[in-house]
Amino acid sequence: MELKREFGPLVTTGSVHGLAWDGERVWFASSEGLKALDPRTGEIMRTLAMAADAGTAFDGRHLYQIVEDRIVKIEPDTGEVVATIPAPGLGDDSGLTWAEGSLWVGQYGARKIVQIDPETGAVRRTIQSDRFVTGVSWADGELWHATGENDTSELRRVDPDTGEVLERHDAPAGAFISGLTTDGESFYAGGGSSRKILKVARRGER
Amino acid sequence: MDALIRAAARALASGDPLRALQCVALREDADGLALRGIAMAQLGELARARDLLRRAARRFGANERARARCVVAEAEVTLALRESVPTQRLDAATSVLELHGDRQNVAHARLLAARHALLLGRVDEAEQACADVELGGAPPMLRSIGALVQADIEIRRGRATQARSALQRARKAASVAGIDALAAEVDRALARLDAPAARIVRHGGETVARLDEVQAVLGGHALVVDACRRVVGPCSLARRPVLFGLARRLAEAWPHDVSRQQLLERVFGQRRASESLRARLRVEIGRLRAALRGVAEIEATGQGFRFAPLHGDVVLLLPPVEGDDAAVLALVSDGAAWSTSVLALALGVSQRTVQRALRELEAQGRVRAIGRARARRWSLAAVSGHATAFSLPATPAVHYDPSDADGTEA
Repeated sequence: MELKREFGPLVTTGSVHGLAWDGERVWFASSEGLKALDPRTGEIMRTLAMAADAGTAFDGRHLYQIVEDRIVKIEPDTGEVVATIPAPGLGDDSGLTWAEGSLWVGQYGARKIVQIDPETGAVRRTIQSDRFVTGVSWADGELWHATGENDTSELRRVDPDTGEVLERHDAPAGAFISGLTTDGESFYAGGGSSRKILKVARRGER
Repeated sequence: MDALIRAAARALASGDPLRALQCVALREDADGLALRGIAMAQLGELARARDLLRRAARRFGANERARARCVVAEAEVTLALRESVPTQRLDAATSVLELHGDRQNVAHARLLAARHALLLGRVDEAEQACADVELGGAPPMLRSIGALVQADIEIRRGRATQARSALQRARKAASVAGIDALAAEVDRALARLDAPAARIVRHGGETVARLDEVQAVLGGHALVVDACRRVVGPCSLARRPVLFGLARRLAEAWPHDVSRQQLLERVFGQRRASESLRARLRVEIGRLRAALRGVAEIEATGQGFRFAPLHGDVVLLLPPVEGDDAAVLALVSDGAAWSTSVLALALGVSQRTVQRALRELEAQGRVRAIGRARARRWSLAAVSGHATAFSLPATPAVHYDPSDADGTEA
């Protein structure tokens, strides 16, 4: 993967995670709040003051953020909170995902998942994930000989004019766990505790 | 395949559907749809999973390998919906995947075929499908699933020791894979293996036994009257509840006899011994003798009748607890696929009683139905089915010809 640009460190403590592209900005969550990065200028355009250690989701139009016992729905253009629903109370470190018309709140470690109505917060279903369901693999055989340790991807910084490789980094695959989104051309990856956001090109992808 | 697809695929492989959805929930391209479908399947949203996988398959167009993957994923959802898996389509997709060198998904598809066979009570077929799976060098998640299917088969064959070692392999692979939910499944199966499997009644004393202890009894020299399977030695009396009832009472009392009075009360439910009832008793004892010829003899005593085994003791096996649920589970535990009518016949109860027991057992995740209406059959649920508990039999399987269990009605 080719590293095109680095933004940050963007905050002074904690990490960055929960990335979402709203058409203009890269939103990310941090302990200093929910922030919007303008990838053209590298500036932080907006900060919403709320503890956002985890639990950020995007439904294509609005952002959702778990704040203590509530989930707030945010209009990204204005930063305004347009709705509030009760959170299922799985704890501060729950993850939040929007998919297929529902919000899904998952405890870290994915032991319990609660599916809720994004309008009302009503619980649609609770899933006790102590049963494993397999699925067809889309990982193209790259896991075939995995020993269970992190495999690595190489991250390169390339001179845009000459194509010369300026820097190489061995980036453990886990480096991108803290968030990943795309603007359609490039990918933005949360650098976790580096507190940076990395803009990564699609080169080298199949 | 872009970074988001790859990240989502990894997340799904590690059993984290929400993280996968973080990457692809908003995507309408073929890969995105497929991964959304698999994530939904992992979350138990089966109807939606099927819809997404079908849309993905259409959108993949000429991409044979991707379409084949969608077929396999959809087959898994179908299995979970307890509908009949289109085995020809699954086999065709498996061949395509093999041609494209997609080893992992070939293994997954063959294990899926084995799981389907187990659900239908076709243990031989499952064993064959498992033998065709190459798991050397496979990711630990697949190896764990393979070992779970193997354990399932061993249980149904009555081989508790082999089942335990398969489960231990499954556990180790699940730890290496780092998938908590899978490890939890295996742990649950191991706990069931240690749970009471049956009660053993011998020389008037009753003890609670684990699966391997029951197996030891079955493998010994005693004549075993198995009230779980309704079997005496090698003879199945599942369709002859009166004969089995007599055998059970005789076994309970052995080495003593049972009076005619007691037999009439317990087996025929009659307090008053009329001459015609006593005649009927003689007829049934005669039938029982015929059924058990070469296995055991029945002596007439002054008061009644007594078992005279040809050699060794007489041992009675009972389900671990009393009750209809335990009795139904015990029968179904031989791994075959039973209809409610034959279950009712074997237990000497009404179909409604059997249906109520089956609903309860199903809610506990211990039995599964397959098929509908008259063709509906019930069998042991297994971890190798989709999102179900791994159920262990109350007693190990006597090899029971599944065609015996096929009733003509549901």
